[in-house]
Amino acid sequence: MNVLIIGGGISGVSAAKVVLKEGHNAIILENTAELGGTMARIANCRIGFKTFFDEIKDQPGLRVIKGASITAAQRKGDAFSVALSDGEVLEADRVIVASGLSPYDPVEYRGKRVLTSLEYDARIDQRNGELPDDFNKIGFFLCVGSRSKEYPLCSSVCCSYTIREVKWTLQRAKPEIAVFYNDLRLFGQEFYLQKIYRDAGVRFVRANSRYFEEDEEGVTVRYFVDGELREERFNYVVLAIGLRPNPGLKDLGALFGFSVNEYGFVAEEEPLTTDLHGVFACGGALEPMNIKDSIMTGFGAGVLAVKDADLLTTATREEGLLCNEVPPEITLPDGDFSSCAFYLGTEDPGAAMFYEYMSARFIEAARKLRQAGKTVYVVTKNTVTPSYDELTFEKARREGVIMINLEEGQSFTAAERSVRITGPGKDLVLDVDRVINFSDHLDGFHGKEFLSVYRSEPQLRWNPTKWSRKKYHVGFLRHPRDKRWEPREILGALGEILLDRGEERLYPTVEEERCSGCGSCKDACPQKAIDIIIQDKQVSIFGPIASTGIPIAHVNEDACVACGLCVSTCPSDVIKFPPEEEKAKNQGCIEPVPF
Amino acid sequence: MPKTDHAIELTDYERQDFSVCLGCKICASVCTVNDLDLSTNPQEMLQKLFLGKDVAADDPLVRFCTGCYRCTGACPWEIRIPDVVRALRQVHATESPFEKAFKGSVAIWGRVYEPYVLMRAVPFLLKGGYIKHMMRWMEYMGIHLPHKVKRT
Repeated sequence: MNVLIIGGGISGVSAAKVVLKEGHNAIILENTAELGGTMARIANCRIGFKTFFDEIKDQPGLRVIKGASITAAQRKGDAFSVALSDGEVLEADRVIVASGLSPYDPVEYRGKRVLTSLEYDARIDQRNGELPDDFNKIGFFLCVGSRSKEYPLCSSVCCSYTIREVKWTLQRAKPEIAVFYNDLRLFGQEFYLQKIYRDAGVRFVRANSRYFEEDEEGVTVRYFVDGELREERFNYVVLAIGLRPNPGLKDLGALFGFSVNEYGFVAEEEPLTTDLHGVFACGGALEPMNIKDSIMTGFGAGVLAVKDADLLTTATREEGLLCNEVPPEITLPDGDFSSCAFYLGTEDPGAAMFYEYMSARFIEAARKLRQAGKTVYVVTKNTVTPSYDELTFEKARREGVIMINLEEGQSFTAAERSVRITGPGKDLVLDVDRVINFSDHLDGFHGKEFLSVYRSEPQLRWNPTKWSRKKYHVGFLRHPRDKRWEPREILGALGEILLDRGEERLYPTVEEERCSGCGSCKDACPQKAIDIIIQDKQVSIFGPIASTGIPIAHVNEDACVACGLCVSTCPSDVIKFPPEEEKAKNQGCIEPVPF
Repeated sequence: MPKTDHAIELTDYERQDFSVCLGCKICASVCTVNDLDLSTNPQEMLQKLFLGKDVAADDPLVRFCTGCYRCTGACPWEIRIPDVVRALRQVHATESPFEKAFKGSVAIWGRVYEPYVLMRAVPFLLKGGYIKHMMRWMEYMGIHLPHKVKRT
């Protein structure tokens, strides 16, 4: 079967991986001269893309066409015949649309010192030489080109990559940094990162600005905070640009005949499927998403193109490979009341991870109460509702749910029949009968498995759903967020299971004689695959032989992903990958997934 | 009916429309009234309107807004804040004589008729003691009165 993949970015290459693994032919069609898409424009991700692509580069079924676009597409029975701009005609049985995202270009604000995040990223890249001398003060401004009347969706990545850029900046220099945000829409571990940088002196200001006056030495910025206007000089200003759909997607939709929604993304009825039979979509063609989700949806689209996904899902469910967990319910206040306030705010970064799930639930509940004719306030520190969820958020606001955003330093106190918001330059009293607190609901999260999973989600892997070879996390267990993600995650997990099937892996082995049981490998393991076990041993030091317990490291091969972190951490080279001849011996412990 | 509701009726907006405000305070960062009073925050005014609270007549924004629409240009949701300010001025009866004159002119002729505007402005100019600057204005306009030339 020939599968045509339109777009050679990360999601397209992920889809090609699954297609090739199943023994079909994949044709990657890239519009530009190089593969990689938006991901390869980020300096720190370029190498990652290259290693990801190099794994399939030499496979015979793969064909990459660069610098060509589609001029005509015709349906012939079940297959498609696609004409390219260089005159070639391709025959394809399935088509995967992975057209990706195009970063917004804020032409009206850009200058020599007002940079977009992509330009800034190139500036701080080590390979581009030394940093400029006047690298002393930098301001980041979020939500440029998204969450506006023109394009109401949240880009869902600009907070995250700003945190990363702060990290990369601090690795090279020690400038004074200020981050100006509307809502910090971070996920998982990023809340911890944010806390770390906050403690390290990075300022987070809940305000935004479009007053940039640039001259030779720097940029003057005005912003309004704590009840008064402030003026500040920055050496560089970074605009965290949002992601918009690929402008060519509309034409592509017209050529093939699948429909595109009002924002310019593929109208997705079934998960990862367009309304045209045999055409699937993944990555940035669906909605703005991060790299990890692009990989996951790419795997999913690959599975849909070459496999019967329903059969596969049933098989894996019977096998017990897909793990999910049911989230705790939110109790709506009952009884007679006319107004209520939802409060979403916490100082604990571990609790803040559930902002995304809880904002969605709170807004859902608030809309329900609002439709019943009650006055509803939603007081938040952050409402984390990225991409399409932003529309629900906007609907709620239009229906009359009153959103009040707390600034840094403002506090929320609930009293009898009223709540009070105080802070510098603000004193607001609202008459409220009931208060629903975010922290009350956190009790429901305690002691559950997802807590440990989500808090230690490893970031350095190409496996978006895999936890171990017996467990693939989907739904709430993987990431507490909107329901539309669960079917996508299941498909992505199927793709990963297919890729893992029959894969040769080396596991690190422990030299038991020399292991001191120091536990540094255990701390390093992102998978919690290493346990320190107590082994009985006969020892004799200056006297009779006695039996004592000695701690040594033990690798749990089911959970190990062979990332090699333990090998590099071990202080005395006790834990090692076996040499090549032992590879065959180790293969016995891999149980291929039965299908 | 509170004064704010009356003011909202005078604009094209409904109360819900102000709820789209994200609270980013971009409007405050570009507002020219901030040169006079540092605590000018249009976003807070919108929130007051949305919550149904009164906006005072001596609010700096209501007093000094020049209607430059810089806030609207920068606002992600393009909320036309000067429209709201104008409605508030009308409700509080604090419109400037020029504003009244322009509106009156439009009401009568459907366009701005300068002689009428000037006529309506005369009492204001006399009362405010602006007439002493008349010479300077004329020079700005390029009209020069004959003046003495020093002879050597």
